[in-house]
Amino acid sequence: MQCVTKPGRTLCALAMSVAVLVCVSGGTARGADAVLDIWAAASLREPITQLARRFEAQAPGRKVNLVFGASSALARQIQAGAPADVFLSADDVSMDHLQASGFVRSETRRVFASNQLVVLAARELTVPLAVPNDLLRPEVRRIALAGPEVPAGRYAREWLASRGLAEAVKARSVVLDDARATLASVDSGNAEAGIVYLTDARVAKTARIAFVVPEAEQPYIVYVGAVMVGGDQPELADDFLRVLVSQEGLAALHAAGFLPPPAKTASSPSAP
Amino acid sequence: MSWSEAIAMTALTLRVGGVAVALAFLPALGLGHWLARREFRGKALVEAVIALPMLLPPVALGLGLLLLFGRRGPFFPLLHALGVELPFTWWAAALAAALVGFPFLVRACEQAFAEVEPRFEQLARSLGYTRPATFLRVTLPLARRGVLYGTLLAFTRGLGEFGATAVVAGIQPGRTETLALGIWSRIELGDDSGALVLCLASFALALAATTLAEGWLRRAPHPKAKAPS
Repeated sequence: MQCVTKPGRTLCALAMSVAVLVCVSGGTARGADAVLDIWAAASLREPITQLARRFEAQAPGRKVNLVFGASSALARQIQAGAPADVFLSADDVSMDHLQASGFVRSETRRVFASNQLVVLAARELTVPLAVPNDLLRPEVRRIALAGPEVPAGRYAREWLASRGLAEAVKARSVVLDDARATLASVDSGNAEAGIVYLTDARVAKTARIAFVVPEAEQPYIVYVGAVMVGGDQPELADDFLRVLVSQEGLAALHAAGFLPPPAKTASSPSAP
Repeated sequence: MSWSEAIAMTALTLRVGGVAVALAFLPALGLGHWLARREFRGKALVEAVIALPMLLPPVALGLGLLLLFGRRGPFFPLLHALGVELPFTWWAAALAAALVGFPFLVRACEQAFAEVEPRFEQLARSLGYTRPATFLRVTLPLARRGVLYGTLLAFTRGLGEFGATAVVAGIQPGRTETLALGIWSRIELGDDSGALVLCLASFALALAATTLAEGWLRRAPHPKAKAPS
């Protein structure tokens, strides 16, 4: 029996070391007391990150957790129980869904920005891409679009449909998760063209703006934020939304290329 | 992407993988032993059900977990009453990792126990060992290679879990974003070099785990080499 007791100890040691590992790495988690969870549209990455870091610096121990993704996907996750305190959506639709199912503190809902659609061209694309019909050139083999339920993708499809290009583009479209993934696929040259926001195009590494969708054809793009019912930091969340619509917030958004909220929304609730 | 981010992500991945194995280990050990020693009608069905998490698309598994434990799931009130918040926490990531690793662990344990001659167990019992003592001091040590290998498989499979985790825990940086999820979100951002750094970290983790396990096996020679015949 001696030959078997030692390996028994080895197994025991293995179990112990797993337990120790779990405790040690678990202990290093977080110590901050006030953690604000902001879930925001992927296109908002730069200005919201900047504002969140400044917001953190305003009070000791304050921490902001940022999650970026497609507004539609984030809204679904919030509905499933994700711990968001603030939701910043790139369209009304995702926020409306949440509000209809009672996840939004409706009095906190604010429209805070707008954006524009642009057509991106990959560096590798040699043929000119200057007007919408150029998207049908044979050299433009793949056109990157965000998914149809994703705000960026919905806006892009609205515009394409208004130009009568929906079906033709669909045949060669590559569907991505969110605005930034759409940008990345053109940036890497894996899609020859793509439709994203102007603000995404500004952080492109190699892709260039082929043309900006003309003013008159721009879909109604609206960014809307609200405090979530399920969050555990309602006051902090409200504070952040106030910062977002303050001079400071609007300046950060403007610097990243966002437009002020569209005039159409003048009737929506403004900051109390 | 900063180094501290990469290190934090690696630590989180280790924690998720470690907790996953810790959750799966005892049930898998018991189930593996039971399956190795019993023949019964419907055993094939039981084996198939156990294998399901390995065969289903992980995303489907994630959806299942979310439907069961999510805000509107049947288990939500129970967990809530216990003060446990599961969906979109790292515990959800650990549960997903445990589930996908479980079949590997059960399979490995079952095969390892099946290779242990029941004679040895009978001998130990006849010498006055209780059932648990027999298991701990005879069966388990003789089966250790298979058990350890299954643990390694389950652990590394858990480290790489993506589909189920993304659905049930979400990709939340600093909270649930493990290396696999981190690689994906870097790809989506077009940050290939960041993604590569995280790939290297995953590689290092897997290599470390495998080397450790191999080292353990090497130090303790194969049981058959010394087992009385």
